[in-house]
Amino acid sequence: MTDTATPIDAAIAPSSGRSLGIKTKTYLYAALLIVAAVVLVPLLTTALGGFKTLGDLRGNAFGLPQTWMVSNYTDILFSQRYWLQMGNSLLIAGLTVFLVLTLAAMAAFVFAHVRFFGSDQLLNYFLIGLMFPAATAILPLFIRIRDLGLLDTYWGVVLPQVAFGLGMSILLFRNYFRGMPSELFDAAFVDGAGYFRFFWHITLPLSRPIIATVGIITFVGSWNSYILPLIMLNSESKYPWPLGIMVYRGEFSTDWQLILAFITLTIAPTVIVFFAAQKHIIAGLTAGAVK
Amino acid sequence: MSQLASSALSLPTGKTRMRRRGVGNRGKWPVIVLFLPPALLLFTLFVILPMGEAAWYSFFNWNGYGLPDQWVGWKNYELIFRQSAFRNALVNNGLIIVVSICIQIPLALWLATMVTKHIKGALVFRLIFFLPYVLADVAAGMIWRFVYDGEFGLVANVARFFGQAPPFWLADKDVAFYAVLAVIVWKYFGFHMMLFIAGLQAIDKSVLEAADIDGATGWQKFTRVTLPLLGSTVRLSVFFAVVGSLQLFDMIMPLTGGGPSNSTQTLVTFLYSFGVMRMQVGFGSAVGVVLFIICVTLAFSYKRVFMKND
Amino acid sequence: MAGLELRNIAKSYGAVSVIEGVSLTVADGEFVALVGPSGCGKSTILRMIAGLEDISGGEIVIGSEVVNDLTPKERNIAMVFQSYALYPHMSVYRNMAFNLELAGKPRDEIDRRVQVAATMLELGPLLERKPSQLSGGQRQRVAMGRAVVRNPSVFLFDEPLSNLDAKLRVQMRSEIKQLHNKVGVTSVYVTHDQVEAMTLADRVVVLNRGVIQQSGSPMQLYREPANTFVAGFIGSPAMNLFDATIVNGTARTASGEAFVFEGAGKSTEGQSVTVGIRPEHFLRTGQGSSLTGRISTIEPTGGQTFVTVSIAGQPTVVTVSGDDNVSPGDELTLFTTPRQVYVFDAASGQRISENAHLRA
Repeated sequence: MTDTATPIDAAIAPSSGRSLGIKTKTYLYAALLIVAAVVLVPLLTTALGGFKTLGDLRGNAFGLPQTWMVSNYTDILFSQRYWLQMGNSLLIAGLTVFLVLTLAAMAAFVFAHVRFFGSDQLLNYFLIGLMFPAATAILPLFIRIRDLGLLDTYWGVVLPQVAFGLGMSILLFRNYFRGMPSELFDAAFVDGAGYFRFFWHITLPLSRPIIATVGIITFVGSWNSYILPLIMLNSESKYPWPLGIMVYRGEFSTDWQLILAFITLTIAPTVIVFFAAQKHIIAGLTAGAVK
Repeated sequence: MSQLASSALSLPTGKTRMRRRGVGNRGKWPVIVLFLPPALLLFTLFVILPMGEAAWYSFFNWNGYGLPDQWVGWKNYELIFRQSAFRNALVNNGLIIVVSICIQIPLALWLATMVTKHIKGALVFRLIFFLPYVLADVAAGMIWRFVYDGEFGLVANVARFFGQAPPFWLADKDVAFYAVLAVIVWKYFGFHMMLFIAGLQAIDKSVLEAADIDGATGWQKFTRVTLPLLGSTVRLSVFFAVVGSLQLFDMIMPLTGGGPSNSTQTLVTFLYSFGVMRMQVGFGSAVGVVLFIICVTLAFSYKRVFMKND
Repeated sequence: MAGLELRNIAKSYGAVSVIEGVSLTVADGEFVALVGPSGCGKSTILRMIAGLEDISGGEIVIGSEVVNDLTPKERNIAMVFQSYALYPHMSVYRNMAFNLELAGKPRDEIDRRVQVAATMLELGPLLERKPSQLSGGQRQRVAMGRAVVRNPSVFLFDEPLSNLDAKLRVQMRSEIKQLHNKVGVTSVYVTHDQVEAMTLADRVVVLNRGVIQQSGSPMQLYREPANTFVAGFIGSPAMNLFDATIVNGTARTASGEAFVFEGAGKSTEGQSVTVGIRPEHFLRTGQGSSLTGRISTIEPTGGQTFVTVSIAGQPTVVTVSGDDNVSPGDELTLFTTPRQVYVFDAASGQRISENAHLRA
């Protein structure tokens, strides 16, 4: 309505208003702490469990380890497979992000600024990809990748991931590009810049926020993805960590203390990066949704 | 990620702000020819074509080698609907949607109202609640597989503490899926909470102050002012819940693998177990087609019916 | 309908004190404006009266009741917000009826009261519309209608006209004044626009940094400002201020201009002072010593022209008739009347000259 409206979110609102009564505060904190406990207890016991022996774990899942079996963790950290899998995940995610950003930005640029016959229909064509998940066509996809000779290669995972991520990314980029003031175009035009130069010198540098958003969404999606690598990869040496975790579990079936250590180490990067870059990650993941 | 992506059916009406911009007609074809085809090619090759091929293969009995040559017409589809595992999957997917609407969303809304109040540490709580969403489904599934383990898990520990025999919920076909539902809520409530926080942030605080002055109690403010203004957010939240539920796979596999006795199958795990694992390309494609139709119908009609004014 | 009293009100956020020792009495039916620059605390005071902010110290009394611990509803106040704060999802009718609905009043009484308020504010044809379908001025009137329906003891206005364009603001100002004449409810009106305050209020209270500078009728504040802050705040264009020293009972600037003023007896020889003269108080003809300066810019507004002249080495704004023929570069000779020369102590800012309220 007006730009002087104050937000309801107390965390970002200016004044303090009426302070809450002590009864309300206690109730609030109690409820929040209980929910936080429900969230954290499984995670913390997993991390702690990695430090225990199996017997210790069985009898004392919630408490501190009787003896700190650091070797559970160090064995994994010094093993080749952990770093190999992390590296694989990083490589696949990196390639996916790079390709998605490049291809989607270019396509979105055309949709945002260039009028040509059939551009609306073409955009709708891409948006169809938003309507169904990769899983629906996974078998024909598998056949295609196999026939292209890309089975059991990184590209066999990256290319489909990129393809499925294009719909959303193109939409986000396009909306952002359209939101840029059109006077920029006029000024650049007067300065003698054509489409390509405008894209490279003006659009891209000004698009950092949306690049971050799309990058984060794509990276998180790829980093966590399971079904696509599961179907496309055979060699363990190429497995990203979600597959690695399942293989590990298969190997050590009831040695839960080892499995928990492995899980902790594989989600540790996620947790650390999340807390380090929370604002960006949350903004990225939810912005994609709201748009 | 498809789950997030499926929201964006705000299709462009070509008439919005399509002023002619740029260098003019002469300069535009190089950019079109250079910038569009890569994305177009990749997309067509790996998204559209496979979907079309799925429709084609679904009429065959094929193991994936050579060419499909065994035409079976609608047989694959008949087989699907006759499988009890498939019916379980449908029911389970429906259950997820119901639980999301009745439990997860109210929970997320309740938490959102609490963490937007003036208390210390509200931001830390938000982070903690959002954390499960950021983790991989696979990891979450495995963590909870441990939690539920009847021998070594947390549930077993607690039961033994109270002198009871530890339950094996994940092995009990009547209870297993409810255990799975709990994990789903645990994983996703933070995301919905963030959506609601965004929705709440869009409400002008003075409107609630005006309600204060008009004499509304906390509950009245919530039901008669806040909630109506959150309508579009609620609809969006339900949309995500529905779309997300149809894709559940990564979390189920480490938890139960679809069992016991196919009681925890979802549409995608069913596709995997019965189509991919057995290399039944025709059958798997048919399942894919069914899934596709369900997804598209739901997405389309939901947007049309419930969200047309958003 | 009731009077309002603030007794030694204070507000602090943690260790930071933003309002200290503010005391004010508003008579029943009086219209008081709180003015001051941004951050002076006027909105905070208003919100404390409303019950939207905690009171750190002192008491607020409405009628004869101390209301510190009462909720806004219990205080029986109504408020018009800067952003109108209309319920976006409710029609105009429901916006106005909401508080009566919450109070459980019967349908026919609600309907009657809403219709009365709607007629008073000419909202009849708009009753079924939603706020998003209304113009800024219409929304403002709905906000006022919502307040009027309640028959409150006190009306509170929080810069209600700030979001309107200039012309609409002038129009709404008179509507607010008419409303007050009709309904006669005790009103407290917060604004940063001193013209609004002067035209609307029975009494104006000037605030700076959480402290009341002066309280009085609009003309009192204009003619007898208590200190340099009030003098510079009230009146547009603002009063011109010069540094000077008292020499032989006159105020003399460093460049030699001498200002004769009344009340020289209260000054001491050699005292550092600030001399203030309003642009409209410079005369083109007169007796005694004069001031001369060169015109640097002219700003014609039709009936008046604001001329910037260099006097005592600084740019000085002078108001001349619109009919006068003046151009940049001209030399202007100006006279002052002693009673219209304001002299303030340089250190404390307090006024020492006598500038009687009534013309002798």
